[in-house]
Amino acid sequence: MIKLENVSLVFQGGSVALSNVSTSISEGEFVYLIGPSGSGKSSFLKLLYKEYFATKGSIEVVDMDITSLPKWKIPVLRRKLGIVTQEPQLLEDRTTFENISFALEILGYDSKEIEQKTSTLIDLVELHESVYKFPYQLSGGEQTRVSIARALASNPLLLLCDEPTGNLDPDLSIQITTLLEKINRAGTTVIMATHDSSIVNRRKKRVLQLKDGKLMSDAAEGRYI
Amino acid sequence: MNKLSYVVKNTFINMRRNPLLVIATMLAVLVSSFLVFTTLSGRAVVENNTSRWQNGVHVVIFLDDRVTTTAHKQLQDSLESYPEVRMVDYFSKSEATEEFKFLFKDQPELVQEVDFEILPSSLRVNLNDPSDYQLIIERMEGNPAVKEIRASGEAIDRLLSLTNTLVISASVFAVLIAFAAFILIINTLRLTAYAKRREIKIMKTLGASSTYIRLPFIFEAIFESLVGTCIAIGFGWGVIQYSKGSVISESIFDITISDTYLINLTLGLILCSVLFGLFASFIGIRKALNE
Repeated sequence: MIKLENVSLVFQGGSVALSNVSTSISEGEFVYLIGPSGSGKSSFLKLLYKEYFATKGSIEVVDMDITSLPKWKIPVLRRKLGIVTQEPQLLEDRTTFENISFALEILGYDSKEIEQKTSTLIDLVELHESVYKFPYQLSGGEQTRVSIARALASNPLLLLCDEPTGNLDPDLSIQITTLLEKINRAGTTVIMATHDSSIVNRRKKRVLQLKDGKLMSDAAEGRYI
Repeated sequence: MNKLSYVVKNTFINMRRNPLLVIATMLAVLVSSFLVFTTLSGRAVVENNTSRWQNGVHVVIFLDDRVTTTAHKQLQDSLESYPEVRMVDYFSKSEATEEFKFLFKDQPELVQEVDFEILPSSLRVNLNDPSDYQLIIERMEGNPAVKEIRASGEAIDRLLSLTNTLVISASVFAVLIAFAAFILIINTLRLTAYAKRREIKIMKTLGASSTYIRLPFIFEAIFESLVGTCIAIGFGWGVIQYSKGSVISESIFDITISDTYLINLTLGLILCSVLFGLFASFIGIRKALNE
């Protein structure tokens, strides 16, 4: 599913975000990407969806060699991925239903399919009572759920979550993690960046630990120490 | 089909965000296109008329009646030998009288009072190149058989020079206003793109191609440009129709422009307005999409 070989990312000005990172992730895995702020977690994810371009090394994502992927092909890659960011990035003037259906509209579904698929996604993220609410009427956890539902609109093979629980309290964080595990059980590979040790330690999943841009450890049932 | 409906729907949603700017843009395009349309049509009218005049008599040499007709004939022969001359017609006193009567048939009092004896015979010269009239004047000056020389080229030169000045002035104005319209379109699109920056970011994350993201902006720019141009063309056609029945058209000018010319001009302007909108939209949202 994902393969990185000696990947480095150096920004203009010389600051090193990632240094010689090599790893691989198989289909159906749930992987936590941990490390303190500035360790390179977001950069790692952004390399996978081509927001950033690696300075060195090779990257393969969903069976595509994206190392030298031309810009015009990036949308093709992204349609195979789901991306959830720390800030849910919802459209303020649209309801929960419209925020999710917007993604389906972009992907070219017809109106009947949009209605059916949006309802399915709302069921999945359990937002039945907030269907017609606007983002400002939703809690942080609900907003993240909308963002996850939107990311799932394209039936992604891989879901990349960049600190989706970063702004949430512990209970809501557990709810979101449980939801992501449910999505993973349905067959989607999930990579979740976090610096929330309580979640990581409780779940006993594979953990990739980054520090100063270097991959420090890769443990099958890792802990956040 | 659903993607197309998204694009069309969003084109109009975008325009609803800044209605005043959209109207200002359309007006600027309208004024600019109207100037281009009327300037080019006006130039075509002048060119038609000058070419009509240029096909006629270019130099009229009035002959001195005190000189013998043999001398007149010699003068005609020498004129016909010049390579610049296409044709020379001798116009006798009686022909001049008939012409005078025809030209002033609406003024019988004038016709009655004129002593036709004063009307001179003349040689009417048609040149291969009308701009050579000065050459003929120089050669004829001082010839005892010549009483006076008149050349239509002088008047045509003055008219063409005036027309060129008007065309250049109007073109400069049209370019300036088109530039203002260009900036207005870019500004409108940038404001819309700024207002939609989150939506654009989400679309990029979801894997929408940049062409797809651009399309509503491109459609908006083309729509604004096209509406302004079409209204301007409508006004332009109206002005031409009105001018055909005006006093000017009945006196000096023949305000006739061929339908082919007008259709080509209309299609050319429409094509230009589409390219104009396309280019403005390209510049307008380039930065917004690269962020």
